[in-house]
Amino acid sequence: MSTVPRPAPARTAAAGRGETPRPARAAGPGTGRRVLRRRTYEAVSGYLFVAPAVILFAVMGLYTVGYGFLLSFARWNGFAPHWDWVGLQNYKDLLWQNPAYAPRLHHAAMHTLYVMIAVPLLTVLVSFPLAVLLNSARRMQGLLRSVYFVPYVTSGVAVFFAWQYILQPDGAVNTVLGSLGMGSLSQPQGWLGNPATALPTMIVVTVWGAVPVAMLLYLTGLQSIDRSVLEASQLDGAGWWRTNVSVVWPLVRPITSIVVLLNLRDSLQGFQTFLVMTNGGPGDHTNVLGLEAYRLAFLMDLAPTLGLASALGWLLFAAALVIALINLRVMRSAT
Amino acid sequence: MHTPRRIPFAPSGRILPASRRIRLAAAAVAGVLALTPLAACGGSSGSGSSTSLTMWTFKQSHVAALKNAAAEFKKQTGISVDVQAYGPDDAYTTKVQAAAKTHDLPDVLEVHSDGEDFALGATGIVRDLSKDVGSDWSGLYQKGVQISGTVTPAHYKESVPSDSKSHGVKEGQRFSVPLTSGTFGIVMGNKKTLAAAGITKPPASYEEWLADLKATTSKDPKNGGVSLGLKVKATGLTWALQPLAFAELGKEKFQALWGKDASADFSSPDGQKVLADYAKMQPYWMPGTQTLDIDTADQAFAQGKSAWDIGGTFTLAFLQQNGMNPDDVMAFGFPGPQGGTVPKPALAPLALTGLAVSSTSAHPDNALKWMKFLAQPGVASKFAKDATEVPSTELGANAASVMGATLADMTQAFVGTPENTYDPNVADFRPPGYDQDSMAEILADLTPLKQKGVAATGKDMAKLNGNFWATADK
Repeated sequence: MSTVPRPAPARTAAAGRGETPRPARAAGPGTGRRVLRRRTYEAVSGYLFVAPAVILFAVMGLYTVGYGFLLSFARWNGFAPHWDWVGLQNYKDLLWQNPAYAPRLHHAAMHTLYVMIAVPLLTVLVSFPLAVLLNSARRMQGLLRSVYFVPYVTSGVAVFFAWQYILQPDGAVNTVLGSLGMGSLSQPQGWLGNPATALPTMIVVTVWGAVPVAMLLYLTGLQSIDRSVLEASQLDGAGWWRTNVSVVWPLVRPITSIVVLLNLRDSLQGFQTFLVMTNGGPGDHTNVLGLEAYRLAFLMDLAPTLGLASALGWLLFAAALVIALINLRVMRSAT
Repeated sequence: MHTPRRIPFAPSGRILPASRRIRLAAAAVAGVLALTPLAACGGSSGSGSSTSLTMWTFKQSHVAALKNAAAEFKKQTGISVDVQAYGPDDAYTTKVQAAAKTHDLPDVLEVHSDGEDFALGATGIVRDLSKDVGSDWSGLYQKGVQISGTVTPAHYKESVPSDSKSHGVKEGQRFSVPLTSGTFGIVMGNKKTLAAAGITKPPASYEEWLADLKATTSKDPKNGGVSLGLKVKATGLTWALQPLAFAELGKEKFQALWGKDASADFSSPDGQKVLADYAKMQPYWMPGTQTLDIDTADQAFAQGKSAWDIGGTFTLAFLQQNGMNPDDVMAFGFPGPQGGTVPKPALAPLALTGLAVSSTSAHPDNALKWMKFLAQPGVASKFAKDATEVPSTELGANAASVMGATLADMTQAFVGTPENTYDPNVADFRPPGYDQDSMAEILADLTPLKQKGVAATGKDMAKLNGNFWATADK
């Protein structure tokens, strides 16, 4: 098959906009200058258009990232005129050397690890079946999708306060358990007041906030599966359960990877829910790494611990990077 | 039909097509938008006008009283004061830090005395007032708080380590003048609930109080306990355990609990005794008090969800704000144990909050005028009534009538001798870099969380204290 060369445009671009057509001129030095001028003009206007984004990224992105990285090697309280350079001391202090910080960090790391295991797992376990059910709903699918999405659009400080009230000793959860004759399961100190239930409860609240997006992602994946594949499996005698486990689940594995990755990252770095609902308590039974970084940065009454907070932030970044790479690797090998 | 137009401000006669004009206009707008945030980084602080001031406070209960005083101040001087409240405390601290960075500080800041003011002074956020506050001014305050906000030799010693919060201050500098005084470690009881349980007078000892707690919780297991905002971690340690430990052991042995000597720290018999006494409160906590912050714990008390509340002299104003009549409150200092070294301990009054001038205030003289105005006895009396607070100004014989019966009862806890008075101001016996929140987290595991016994708690507290010393000695 041959390609027919396109004829040169008979009209200038301006003609398309209703301007009087101008005859094409012979190529010469004047034309070259004009082309050059036009290209320069286009290049300049292009740069001008991207300039705001570049400047914002340079100021808000590169500058702050670089600033934060340098800060992790300094001792500073945010206001003193000079930074005291301490080299890698902040990292050493956090990881093992300073007995005032390291044990706290280890404890917070353990809590974070529990959250990182439980939240992605539970989110997948809840959101995938929910998406399968929603996908098979014949009626009111749009309404149900909106209802399931409510936790995501309402998540915020006010909702976390509402959760606090629900979980109090005289809150809705204990009241419902009592009225159902399951009073023995209720928590007299509240679900956030008992060290044994505080962290699991926080995990449940986090999962509640994470399920809507995960479910929507699964729903997108389910709707993109070729129906002929499902029909073929049914013709081969696979039932509902077998189809979902052996056909649908492997096909949505990339989405599972994304859901797991997103939730791992949130579990590793997120702390807002913990700050509002427990402040790491009772005692320090729900302290997590993100919250510890926030505490070191802003809640130490101007103590020179900003460098420690920054170092902890970079450690979290490194951990997130490793997790992302592992996830990428697993995803590649699985698909 | 496309009609070319002249570009405004373009060289004369130059005509560009619409697409170019639109692109150029868009680029110009985008450029302006990009530069806007940068331009916003500039700015000034305080109020620009010479006849107006701005003041920030973290105490919502002070706002109305300060506004009343500001109205009077304007009448007398023509200077208006715009009082703004930001809370809770943590949010206020963050707000001040952010405003200092963006040069948007107000002229006057209300600060926690003898701590936060030094930290702000060390960082240059507030100015040194040592040359502005003479004896005619400081003499207006109660004797115990006249030098509040001043860097004493003890405060200077605490500031020397490079990781100290107040590192950089110099001895003799002054960063605030006191506004309110009082103390924490005040126990409050709901008179009606107590009367229903047969309690009509304050307990004479810790043991009597435990018996009273037993009576109220027996009468009403759900609402008869004691509330304390343990979500703010240090409250249990500083408002309850420390006064109790002082009464149990006396000043020297109390201070030794935070020393380097293992035979006298929290793992020692003395430490174990104090912790064992503190753990006796276990059956009487209000359910879920460990999940409440200070305000919500006080609210619970005001709403009748607890019969007792541990707070400070400043709590009464908040209770009143939440609908509780101060006359319905029985108040007394944290009682000492019968067999203790100081069975009848007193609580030293301390300046709770002070006033500081931001270093970037455009009108520091006006700010100082306003602060001195607030220290006048007549103004302070009105402030005390309006805010239900103990003012730092010496009110003389009128104090009881000005503050009301309950607040006056609270101030009875101040009456004592140097030997039997617990003074939370004195902190130089603790290791530099000491973090009371971490210590309090361990204590919470003893009670109310009941995760550890007395021995394990004492051992862990002593270990953490030793860690602070080890860090300081490095």
